[in-house]
Amino acid sequence: MTQLSRRELLRSAVLAGIALPALSACATPAGNGGASQPAPAAGATSAANPLGFAEDKPLEIWIFDGGFGDAYAKDVHEALVKAKHSKLEIKHNATKEIAKTLQPRFAGGNPPEFINNSGADAMDFGALVQDGQLADLTPLFDAPSWDDPAVKVRDTIDPVAIELGSYDGTPYVLNYATTVWGIWYSKKLFDAEGWQPPKTWDEFLKLCETIKKAGKIAPFTYAGKHPFYIYETILTLAAKIGGKDVLKNIDNLEDGAWKAEPVKQAATAFAELGAKYLLQGTAGLDHIQTQTAQNKGQVAMLPCGSWLENEQKDTTPADFDYAMFPLPDFTSSDALPYGTVHARPGEEYIVPSKSGNPRAGMEYMRAMLSKEGAGKFMEMVSTLTIVKGAGEGRTLKPGLKSSSDALTAAGDNTVWFLFRKWYVEMHDEVAAATGQLMSGKLTVDQWTDRVQKKADSIKNDSSVKKFSR
Amino acid sequence: MNHGRLRFVTGFLAVPVALYLIYVIAPYAQAFYIALTDWRGVTASPAFVGLENFRRLFADDVFWTAVGHNLLLLILMPLLTVGIALFFAFLLNAGGRGGAAGVWGSKFYRVVFFFPQVLAVAVVAVLFQQVFRPDRSGMLNAPLIALGFEPVGFLSDTGVALWSILGVLVWQAVGFYVVLFSAGIASIPRDLFEAAAIDGAGGAQLFFRITLPLLWDTIQVGWVYLGIAALDVFAVVWVMTAEHGGPDHSTTVMAAEIYRTAFQYFKFGYASAMGVVLFFFTIGFAALALRLSRRERIEF
Amino acid sequence: MAEAAIPRSRALAREERRRRLGPFGVLTHLALLVWTVLVVVPIAWTFLASVKSEDEIFGDAWSLPAALRLDNWARAWDQAHIGQYMINSVVVVAFGVFGTMLFGSMAAYVLARYRFVGNRAIYLLFVSGLAFPVYLALTPLFFVVQNMGTLPVVGPFIGLNTHAGLVLVYIAYSLPFTVFFLAAFFRTLPGAVAEAAFVDGASHTRVFFQIMLPMARPGIVSVTIFNVLGQWNQYQLPLVLLNSDRSKWVLTQGIADISTAAGYDADWSALFAALSMAILPMLVVYTIFQSQIQKGLTAGALK
Repeated sequence: MTQLSRRELLRSAVLAGIALPALSACATPAGNGGASQPAPAAGATSAANPLGFAEDKPLEIWIFDGGFGDAYAKDVHEALVKAKHSKLEIKHNATKEIAKTLQPRFAGGNPPEFINNSGADAMDFGALVQDGQLADLTPLFDAPSWDDPAVKVRDTIDPVAIELGSYDGTPYVLNYATTVWGIWYSKKLFDAEGWQPPKTWDEFLKLCETIKKAGKIAPFTYAGKHPFYIYETILTLAAKIGGKDVLKNIDNLEDGAWKAEPVKQAATAFAELGAKYLLQGTAGLDHIQTQTAQNKGQVAMLPCGSWLENEQKDTTPADFDYAMFPLPDFTSSDALPYGTVHARPGEEYIVPSKSGNPRAGMEYMRAMLSKEGAGKFMEMVSTLTIVKGAGEGRTLKPGLKSSSDALTAAGDNTVWFLFRKWYVEMHDEVAAATGQLMSGKLTVDQWTDRVQKKADSIKNDSSVKKFSR
Repeated sequence: MNHGRLRFVTGFLAVPVALYLIYVIAPYAQAFYIALTDWRGVTASPAFVGLENFRRLFADDVFWTAVGHNLLLLILMPLLTVGIALFFAFLLNAGGRGGAAGVWGSKFYRVVFFFPQVLAVAVVAVLFQQVFRPDRSGMLNAPLIALGFEPVGFLSDTGVALWSILGVLVWQAVGFYVVLFSAGIASIPRDLFEAAAIDGAGGAQLFFRITLPLLWDTIQVGWVYLGIAALDVFAVVWVMTAEHGGPDHSTTVMAAEIYRTAFQYFKFGYASAMGVVLFFFTIGFAALALRLSRRERIEF
Repeated sequence: MAEAAIPRSRALAREERRRRLGPFGVLTHLALLVWTVLVVVPIAWTFLASVKSEDEIFGDAWSLPAALRLDNWARAWDQAHIGQYMINSVVVVAFGVFGTMLFGSMAAYVLARYRFVGNRAIYLLFVSGLAFPVYLALTPLFFVVQNMGTLPVVGPFIGLNTHAGLVLVYIAYSLPFTVFFLAAFFRTLPGAVAEAAFVDGASHTRVFFQIMLPMARPGIVSVTIFNVLGQWNQYQLPLVLLNSDRSKWVLTQGIADISTAAGYDADWSALFAALSMAILPMLVVYTIFQSQIQKGLTAGALK
């Protein structure tokens, strides 16, 4: 169908809407521009433009204006692309609410070329993939890299990133920034008080007790309004106790995955922590409030990802000296050794397949994956990236150094879970139930029952596309 | 005459009816169709699943929790708002020395009471989020903590949060009805109060014997507005609470579930089915409203 | 003689009542003051927080700011474009309410006072709109507005990300309440004046604009106020229909955006400043016009 005749159809749908409202129901899908569009085809390729994007069509960029802000895109990546392709018009946008802002654009069939789909209001990747909205990024990974045409992009980055961005074997999502989770503290404070990062769970509890007894500062908190922050640690501890399969089973919606013994042990451990050592009012505070409380010396430790240092840069005292430690050994027979961390490439970037110039979106990604693009990004927003060696010769802040060291020390012992991306509903239910677990309103058994029930209902919901790893 | 009459009727109705059909009826009609599909927002050809969405809805605990909250608000919000507003309206008008002219400063009170009404709901929600903060930087908890009490989790305690929502809704609504009811009371002939006062009626008797019966029509109108508002609650819950209706679904309402299911889970089919259920709840209420407001028709 | 007696008995009654209501009067003012405090304090507290530093906001809620941090306001104004959003809101609401009242009163009048085939059906169609949860219609509505944007000539003015498009949607969604209320109002108006005008040969249109509409003024004013409040408060529709053009945003979008932003940027003082900026003009405008607003509001609702 040509563009013109499609418009005719739409117009008549509107007119039909006037005459016979009920019948216009049939017009709903017409607004989508047809799902069977071919994958974004390349135009003429050249050494300067290996992806063959159209230089005469604009490149519309949408950055999630969250912990990383959006200056990095403007100052680093867009500048890189602009320097190489002066004719390409780049339209920069930023928002805190990706889904609210951009979901209608998808529904309308005119999404932008490049989206940083992140934050609390990110769009559901599963739904986007299911609907064929995302461009296959294989051409990008097979293209020559920005820095050295002899090397493919694929070979300059952490392969886990491609794996994690793949849905049923096809890469759709670029996970750019590597995040490491852990328990964060002020090294300055710990040194001053003579506290040591704990290596075992017993030491951890003893440390909490010591801090509580000292009475100056609360031992522990988490972003109570966003219980993701605490279920993340519960699941990491569960994986440490029971091995990587614990999380894999959960992601794959295996029967009884949430009722596995390691999950229960980890939940019990944190429920105890919640009952005894939390900062007053934790349940009603959000991440910024708890993190600011830590900066102000009201609480000693909190779980977070490695974006923390950058997120708090405005409220952190200059000599705070951020550092993190991995989850301590729960027993001496944990399946994974001390130093295991929850780490994975995250901060997702996508190229909508039905945008006007998808190949330009990929070219932008190619620039992001250059050493210069990634290195400057690291410095600017204080996070690790998937680009190998991007941090060479750059100075890292203490928190970033600490998480970088933790990642190196962990080696292959990194764990992660993906259901948060695959099934947003699952994430919401786990978050809701875990908040109640931590404030003592649910027992561990009630918690596992509830969460397992949700997993089962998603498994049985034929309208939700299933993923596995 | 008859011909001109028809032309006039058509001419006057054409634009409003056209606008209404295009922007309101057509989308809703489509939504009813979408409720019978598994549409996830962007697919060109959603599969028709019949009543599957409704079948699933009946087993959806969270949705029925939301329904329960809406019904609770539907009962309590008008009750509290009308009750408080009547009380103040009565105090402002009949309780003072000025008789029907109102107590000293009644104009000031009426102006101030109306303040919350002119603030956008989104603004009120953000404002109360700060008022309710659970630590000593929260307006309400600061004095509690200073006095040595445990802070109240206004928005974080599952047993309290819905009442906080109700409080904010009432806080915002009362002023409007104070103004409405005071005008109603002011229009009651002053002699009635004075005669009753001479007969020895006290404040409470004046209220129940005169104010309430003579204000009954106005109260009914207020009840209808508030009922519709209670079923439409969204922004306060969405902006103010953790987990958008949390913690643990303790404050969620139908509109929030619909919005979440549609725009966060991208289950437009399922969300539309929820919308259809909400539709039947509200249509019931609207029918009631119609019945209450039916008046004599005057025809040429 | 009788004329003199009545005022005197009234004066006595008033005297009598004043005596009896003595303690009652004190309690009255106490109760009224409590609510005044409940209303004023959260608002005043917001203004106070808007000149506090970040540290002070996270400190004790009732502490006074050490210094007036007016830069919070500057930051909120510059970065959050509150001024632009406010102008946008005013424009959209002005046109939206005017259109709503014009078309709403036309429809309501015809439906209330003319008998014709389909009258009841059209009336019910409008009124049933009161029961439509707007969340049900959002996605299809998005398509409708987008499709309107493809119409020849007028398309570019009424599509997505246009104020005119939003105005039309506001009008359409305000019609159910407006028609419901005004139809009830028109029904209660006496027909004698209109009939006399018809006898004199006035047209239906003229009777409406020159006789019935002025007679319905209290109802019109009242519904106008409802619609101004309703459209000014609207958050969901602009969110969907003006999403990709920040320069077109209305105030509620701006405020909600700053609230979300505060969760990421930790700029709470700017949030309070922006809140204050959103609150202040509304309070000022309301206070200036309060007597008209209250009169109009109640005259209509009480008819």
